[in-house]
Amino acid sequence: MGRLFVINLEGKIYSRKHCQTHLALYDDIISKSFHCRHGKAYLFRKVVNVSVGEKEDRMMITGMHTVADIFCVGCGSIVGWTYEAAHEKSQKYKEGKFVLERFKVSGPDGSNYWPSREAHISGSDADDA
Amino acid sequence: MGGVEDDEPPTKRVKASSGELRSLLNYSLLSEPLTGSLGDSMARPLPSQGDEEMVGTKGVIKRVEFVRIITKALYTLGYEKSGALLEQESGIPLHSSVVNLLRQQVLSGNWDESVATLHKIGLSDETVVKSASFLILEQKFFEFLEKDKIMDALMTLRTEIAPLCINTSRVHDLSACIVSPSRRLLLGLSSQDIVSANSRSKLLEKLQKLLPPTVMVPERRLEHLVEQALSVQREACVFHNSLDSALSLYSDHQCGKDQIPSRTLQVLQAHRDEVWYLQFSHNGKYLASSSIDRSAIIWEVNEDGGVSLKHTLTGHQKPVLTVSWSPDDRQLLTCGIEEAIRRWDVSSGECLHIYEKAGVGLISCGWLPDGKRVFSGMTDKSICMWDLDGKELECWKGQRTLKISDMALTNDGKRIITMCRENAILLLDREAKGDRLIEEDQTVTSFSLSRDNKFLLVNLLNQEIHLWSIDGDIKLVSKYKGHKRTRFVIRSCFGGFDQAFIASGSEDSQLIYHHELTNRPQQT
Repeated sequence: MGRLFVINLEGKIYSRKHCQTHLALYDDIISKSFHCRHGKAYLFRKVVNVSVGEKEDRMMITGMHTVADIFCVGCGSIVGWTYEAAHEKSQKYKEGKFVLERFKVSGPDGSNYWPSREAHISGSDADDA
Repeated sequence: MGGVEDDEPPTKRVKASSGELRSLLNYSLLSEPLTGSLGDSMARPLPSQGDEEMVGTKGVIKRVEFVRIITKALYTLGYEKSGALLEQESGIPLHSSVVNLLRQQVLSGNWDESVATLHKIGLSDETVVKSASFLILEQKFFEFLEKDKIMDALMTLRTEIAPLCINTSRVHDLSACIVSPSRRLLLGLSSQDIVSANSRSKLLEKLQKLLPPTVMVPERRLEHLVEQALSVQREACVFHNSLDSALSLYSDHQCGKDQIPSRTLQVLQAHRDEVWYLQFSHNGKYLASSSIDRSAIIWEVNEDGGVSLKHTLTGHQKPVLTVSWSPDDRQLLTCGIEEAIRRWDVSSGECLHIYEKAGVGLISCGWLPDGKRVFSGMTDKSICMWDLDGKELECWKGQRTLKISDMALTNDGKRIITMCRENAILLLDREAKGDRLIEEDQTVTSFSLSRDNKFLLVNLLNQEIHLWSIDGDIKLVSKYKGHKRTRFVIRSCFGGFDQAFIASGSEDSQLIYHHELTNRPQQT
């Protein structure tokens, strides 16, 4: 391996549930109304300590987008995705932002989220204009 | 015979036995090769070469110029006979006879004649003629003053120098010289200077610089051209990593790839887990490595260049982040991650002291140039300084450092270089004379200071390495790309002779070299 380069955040931090790597700040949340296969997801203005995967076009709830999965640098597991390009004008606000799956992270107060079966919505994405 | 003045005193030329061998006056080229009594042992010049105006494969070198600078070089090297011989054999005189006449007249002090000769040279630029005349007449003036011939000096000034209408401030200075002898000293002339032959030859040198180079070939022109060529070769040498004394004129300089370390010489296996940091001692005799296995190892460099284990330093409870050699290389500091610093004696391998601070972890360490004080960055972002026994001497609180283990101190002990924000490096002035900041537009992952403290190499999150000049104004000098970094701390450092290279690790298991100036990455 090697010595990981990790940025440390201050404030109300969302961190990777298993390896405790800091990922994002509460203050950077843009929207809490996103969904993914595992339930709730939040849209963040900025995340740290993630590496970005390959770009691909994906059909989301709100339409076609070019997205890339993001992985935690600490444990390498997938934690969400980032919007590289939106194909519809109304979705452009998402470009350059990041979505973290709520299930994968621990909240600022240490709280965790467990997806319930009923909340399982097929498909990812959501709109919160 | 061709118009050579009969009263011309013997010059540096060899007196030929036969009168046929006086060189031609002007620069017109020979239509036939020289024949005659140069000496039967001499080879006759080949007809084809004797005719051509240009030499060299590209046809850009003019024969006349080429021969003249060679002749000049011969004289400068002290080979007077060869120089004279070349002038004769080629038929290309170093100086036209008018110029030679001028030289003699200046050297023997025939001022008026020399000014007249000056006009005969046929210079197109009037100001040059005037400036040259000014110099000659100035010499005449000073020599008069030296011999106390005040009236003569005054006459010269009034009737000869002043009408030239140039350099009037100098004319005023000269007139002041008449009035007060001490002025002469102010002008930087001592009486010894004036009278001796030295000053006349100095005058000749000044004239030489003034007159166009076609009239008087500049000093050391050939040496200058060769040095230029060598510089070009050296700069074009992509792998250049050798001393200048290795440059030879016989073939174009090209360092082979083997000048740069590109082969594994030895694999050192002693640590039980990843090695996180390495550093050679200042004198190059030892190597220190630190590892996640909570130990550091001191290796010794043998005479054959191989490395062998000297001491294993155990005691840390956490992975050892970084090491730092004392200025005299007799002690080593090791830093456990967010833990403590230990000071070790290199020859015995025993731990001399442990530095800790209650409630905070230490993450970086370094020495002050006097070897009597150590400093460290803490997890609470402050920097602390202790003396060798552990007494805390100074503490800089506030946002001084981040959880980055890179910290450096300049050789004069005046500045601490540390990261104060994600994308900013602070050059903290210990004497509080003013901190300076390097701001990047990306997050900094590691940095490295050059040995001469003039440059800082900064590794960024986005796979670029930036070279900053920190001597005087802080300036970004260059950017280097080529290595890969996504998750880990990749380090880069300076290396090679004169630290002209930058080497960097990469996540794709390659070692990437950049030449500091040419900015072309070479991969290994």
